[in-house]
Amino acid sequence: MRRHWACYATAVRMTFVEHLRNRLALVIIVVFIPVWAILIYALSLEIPLPFYVRAADRTVTVPADVLNQLGGALQILALITGFMMFVTTMNSASFDRRLVRSGFPQLCLIAAKLTALAVVALCVALYATGLICLTHPTAQPLLLAAALAGGALIYGGIGIALAAVLTSDLAGLVLVTVICSIDLALQSPLATPAAASALVRYLPDYGPMQAAVAAVAMDTVPWNAVGPAVCWALGTVILGISAFAGRTRAHQPVGGPVTAHS
Amino acid sequence: MPSDEPVLRVRDVRKSYRGRPVLHGVDLDLPPGRVVGIVGENGAGKTTLLRVLAGDLRPDGGSVRHGGRIGHCPQETVLHDAFTVEQHLRFFQVAYGLESLCRAEELMEALRFSGSRQARPATLSGGTRQKLNLVLALMHDPDVLLLDEPYQGFDWETYVRFWDLAEELRARGRSVLVVSHLAYDAARLDMLHRLEGGVLRERERVIASGGDRAAAP
Repeated sequence: MRRHWACYATAVRMTFVEHLRNRLALVIIVVFIPVWAILIYALSLEIPLPFYVRAADRTVTVPADVLNQLGGALQILALITGFMMFVTTMNSASFDRRLVRSGFPQLCLIAAKLTALAVVALCVALYATGLICLTHPTAQPLLLAAALAGGALIYGGIGIALAAVLTSDLAGLVLVTVICSIDLALQSPLATPAAASALVRYLPDYGPMQAAVAAVAMDTVPWNAVGPAVCWALGTVILGISAFAGRTRAHQPVGGPVTAHS
Repeated sequence: MPSDEPVLRVRDVRKSYRGRPVLHGVDLDLPPGRVVGIVGENGAGKTTLLRVLAGDLRPDGGSVRHGGRIGHCPQETVLHDAFTVEQHLRFFQVAYGLESLCRAEELMEALRFSGSRQARPATLSGGTRQKLNLVLALMHDPDVLLLDEPYQGFDWETYVRFWDLAEELRARGRSVLVVSHLAYDAARLDMLHRLEGGVLRERERVIASGGDRAAAP
């Protein structure tokens, strides 16, 4: 057990060193999130838009600038978290496999990866929530932070899963961008007149988007949005971790140790 | 005199890639305290065989049995550009469950590792990266060492030191399996196998006495 704790602590340290070496992602977090959150709010029209919070079965009226900002925040967090998890998982694949073959418990590497994903998702979500709260009053800031963190977790899992099948940074970034652009565009009443359609329930960021709008426009928690969000987060993370586990698995030699009678 | 009971026993190992057979049924016995070579042309399946022996690839059939810890030095340096040399050593210390880095430091000294321990692999020369690659494979003092063209990028002096190290391992009863596409090192080996057509076809016994070890890298 002590060895597993030591391995876990080492793996966590290793994972965070990797993330901190990803300077592009850090610059995007520090500089691009505030620029995006403020510009998209400042440059959008203040016209009221109806948004159907299906999870609470209520239609709320939200200014277009606020709705754009929420969608934009979910999108940029999805991109950052998905890209960060994709890059670190892809770049360390051979090294992780070598570590596992050398006796490093695979479970500790997986636990460290999940720890990093949770910490990254939480940090970027709190940062973005703070910025959004600075630009306009938010009824439920904690719910907003949870919604943004949920969206980041979902795309972090997608990033880990994509790292098992793609081998270039660019391909990963493009694919995460395409998936989350389609996901959020279909839910925006500005971009899609049929955004209130029942089909949007099956999109990855449906739960986070519903919860984010409820956080600024309602004083209750839309609990029905939690289920899909948790399912997507668990599903993508399990898919990503399974792909990672398959890729770093060490094949034990067939048969036992050499003995005189073998 | 070491016992001839093999520390690595390979029987009828087969491997195909997308229906193209690479290994047709490889048999090999690696006794303790021997330095054994496998040569073959490019694409003969040497790296595939070594990856199967190291547990990195699952064979389609056959068996691989070993009697101790294995160290594997892959052909391409498997290092992480985000980590310093020191961090590499610490991570593998944890992986191998080692109390200290004494052996790693001995190996770095033996190979005259010249890079800073705070340097990252991207700032090291190819030869220095390969030395680190080798140290990571050897630092737990494995019973069987699998080396895939381990001296690529080494200068002459490092090449000679590498073989001194192999001698030291052999003297301590460790077994070394070296894969190469060149047969320059034949005089340094106890035994040489040739991988041809997916099978270890020929064997050449080599006299491994001290006098006639002149070879080129």
